[in-house]
Amino acid sequence: MIGFLHPWALAGLAAAAIPVLLHLLARREPPTVVFPAVRYLITTTREHQRRLKLQNLLLLLLRTLLIVALVLAAAGPTLPLRGVAGHAPGALVVILDNSPSSGAVVAGSPRLAQLRSAAREVLARATPEDAVWLITAEGVPQRGDSRALADQVGALAVSPRRLDLGAAITAADGVLAPESRRGGIVLLTDLQASAVTRAEPRVPLVVGRPSDPPPPNAGIARLATGAQPWSSDGGRIMVSLAGDSGAAVPLVARLDRRPQRQALAHVGGAATLALPGAPSGWWTVTAELDPDELRSDDQRISAVRIAAVAGVSCSAAERYVAAACGVLESNRRITRGEEITLGRLGPRGSVVEPPADPAALGALNRALAARGVTWRYGALTLAATSTDSGPAVGRVRVLRRYRLESTASGRTGVIATAGGEPWLVRSGGVVLLGSRLDPAWTELPVSAGFMPFMDLLLNRLARGEVSLAEGSPGDPIPVPDLVTTVRQAEREWRVEGGGSFRPPDVGTYYLLSGRDTLGAISANLDPRETLLRPASDGQVRRLWQGAQVVPLPDAAGLAFASGSLGDLRGSFLWLAVALGLGEMALATGRRRER
Amino acid sequence: MTRFARLDLLDPLEVARLGGIEVTTEGVVEGFLSGLHRSPRRGFSVEFAEHRMYQPGDELRYVDWKILGRNDRLYVKQYEEETNLRAMAVLDVSRSMAWTGAPETVLPKLDYARRLVAALSLVLLRQRDATGLIAFDDEVRRIVPPRARLSHWRQLVQTLAELQAGQGTAAEPALRRVVDQLRRRGLVVFVSDLLLDRALALTALRFLRHRGHQVLVLHLLDPAEVDLAGPAEARFEDPETREAVVLRPRDWAGAYRETLRQVIGDWRLACRRHGIRYHQVITTTPFGTVLREALAPAAATRAG
Repeated sequence: MIGFLHPWALAGLAAAAIPVLLHLLARREPPTVVFPAVRYLITTTREHQRRLKLQNLLLLLLRTLLIVALVLAAAGPTLPLRGVAGHAPGALVVILDNSPSSGAVVAGSPRLAQLRSAAREVLARATPEDAVWLITAEGVPQRGDSRALADQVGALAVSPRRLDLGAAITAADGVLAPESRRGGIVLLTDLQASAVTRAEPRVPLVVGRPSDPPPPNAGIARLATGAQPWSSDGGRIMVSLAGDSGAAVPLVARLDRRPQRQALAHVGGAATLALPGAPSGWWTVTAELDPDELRSDDQRISAVRIAAVAGVSCSAAERYVAAACGVLESNRRITRGEEITLGRLGPRGSVVEPPADPAALGALNRALAARGVTWRYGALTLAATSTDSGPAVGRVRVLRRYRLESTASGRTGVIATAGGEPWLVRSGGVVLLGSRLDPAWTELPVSAGFMPFMDLLLNRLARGEVSLAEGSPGDPIPVPDLVTTVRQAEREWRVEGGGSFRPPDVGTYYLLSGRDTLGAISANLDPRETLLRPASDGQVRRLWQGAQVVPLPDAAGLAFASGSLGDLRGSFLWLAVALGLGEMALATGRRRER
Repeated sequence: MTRFARLDLLDPLEVARLGGIEVTTEGVVEGFLSGLHRSPRRGFSVEFAEHRMYQPGDELRYVDWKILGRNDRLYVKQYEEETNLRAMAVLDVSRSMAWTGAPETVLPKLDYARRLVAALSLVLLRQRDATGLIAFDDEVRRIVPPRARLSHWRQLVQTLAELQAGQGTAAEPALRRVVDQLRRRGLVVFVSDLLLDRALALTALRFLRHRGHQVLVLHLLDPAEVDLAGPAEARFEDPETREAVVLRPRDWAGAYRETLRQVIGDWRLACRRHGIRYHQVITTTPFGTVLREALAPAAATRAG
């Protein structure tokens, strides 16, 4: 089937009607000329009419075909031809999967080396007239000439980011959508099954995959550091392993550079290790396996906060609050002290409940304002609602609440909402609850989540700290309000509180508000990268209709095969030249006859 | 140089602009005659021309008594008057003759023919040749019998001036009427654009030749009839028959020229085959040139 590189140019075919239109226009009623020798004209036309008509018809045909040939040549006609040496100018997107799994060593060399080699072969087939893009695990299509892209491929390292192959194919399809040239996608990948997601490419897709099977692998899928802050006595971590090796592997964990703890863990299972305590502060916990063919998933890190438990002044008048304080104290999660005042506005950190007596509300609001708190209690709402589930509070029923109103611009400091309105907010060291911790106001005190909530409330929220976030490099991770900076070692990123941050690499990132550290993000490899099992050809063809799955070395041969397109522009131009010469010869002959 | 000096060599349209047929034609003829190396007047007088043997019936007054006295033989004198030519101009005044392709620069064929015939007549009359005129279109319109008096020219000129372009063309009746006017052998000058029935016309011309007349055909052609031109496409219409043909002159000019060449060739060949002199005359040709071509052989014929 003939195709066109610039199909819009085919609109010029309308110009082919010009000779015919001119001919028809010229056929309108001509002027009458008196001429005595008409009999000679009649004799002349009788003798030459047929020949002239034929010449006219031929001229008309030649001129029309000339225009058609020129327009078709301009439209860049191509024809799929097998076995032709060159190819018509095309648009090609090379997706090179340099996700963490490509770092697996197979037969002594990284898988990525094979992929890079195949990519360079593909790029070597591109001509200067081709448009070529490169998509890696970074996910951003980069356009360039084939030489520059080949250099880039040569320097490409294993990325910590996971590459969703379906999404990458869709992105490539989007890149090619506005292209008039015949497009194609070449995907060079280890074809990790977990990365193969559905896509519907509209252009030919060639999937180059390694022929040899992946090595057995084991990796750390998760590192849980439990409730925080840890006390100075230390804490416990739980390490989950994933992979297909099926064996028990030695596992070590350590708190920063402190002496490591060891355990034997089964792949597919989990191991719990107790780490020793340390002085108050932010610390890095590292869990590590013995090296195997895929190194990048053998280590996982996380941040922990070590601090003394909060010293809380609890009100004995409130039954549920007093009970919670007792339980937390017996579990050594709090101590009696003046660091946090629970239930009312105290001299230091405070968790404030609305007063049971509405008459006391005005005095409380004035005290809050005097303290510089940017929130105040508004009207009482008796309409029952629920909290909107979040990291601080699950979904619990709220029967009565005071509206919490911000006295500053914006709504910074909202920790939890109920019915879409602020229900738990923080301003400085003061946390305001919209409802009293009483079953008449909310079902929270009688729910299972009450004790964890109180622990979180007293040890972290009231102390101005936030929970740890986890994610993978490149993934958007929400950052809490008040955060202005993200720091990793010497690097810093300015962020807007309430937005998101994409960690560029594996590591621990600290969330800062001015000079205070509000929390941390632990960025580790996506645990799915550990499973190296490839998708079968059948799975690939089912998820990507029409895809050609070939061994890596064969991908280059099919790169522009959408391919071996014969460029017909030259042929059409030569045809136009021949038609032009024919027209010129015929017209010149006619003029000579005159 | 006088006003009429060598009018025979001027462009016919310029000559026509100088005055009426009579005046300008005189100028043409004066110019023509003064340009000849030998004046045609000399020897054209009524003086003695030649001797011939006496034949019974000859008038005795023409017997040359001196020869009889010297040689005892009877010879009679023949005088110029007896050998003078009797000429008839047969003029086509059909509608096609009234046409010119460029009214501003070229005389219509009929106007050209009027002056040509007038000049020809004047030359002949000055040679004491009796000259007459037959004008025809689709029928014979006017007949002026041949007379040798010089004053006869005024009548011819007046007749020529009065002629109007008629309708179709039927030359054969007019040519046959010549026989009535020329009882002796004479000269017939057929002036036409020859847009007529060639076979009939040739039959009549052959008939005249058969009767011993010298026949001269002057084929008038307008320059625009020689080189086909016009708008990109036009409907060409015959003014006589109203026949029409639509064509693009640029496309057909070459073929038309070839057809015309063929037509002229056919006429020339047919005329030569029957001893008829044929001259193609473009209406921009100076009258003197045409007179020279037409009259030089005529004089020879008369002398013979």
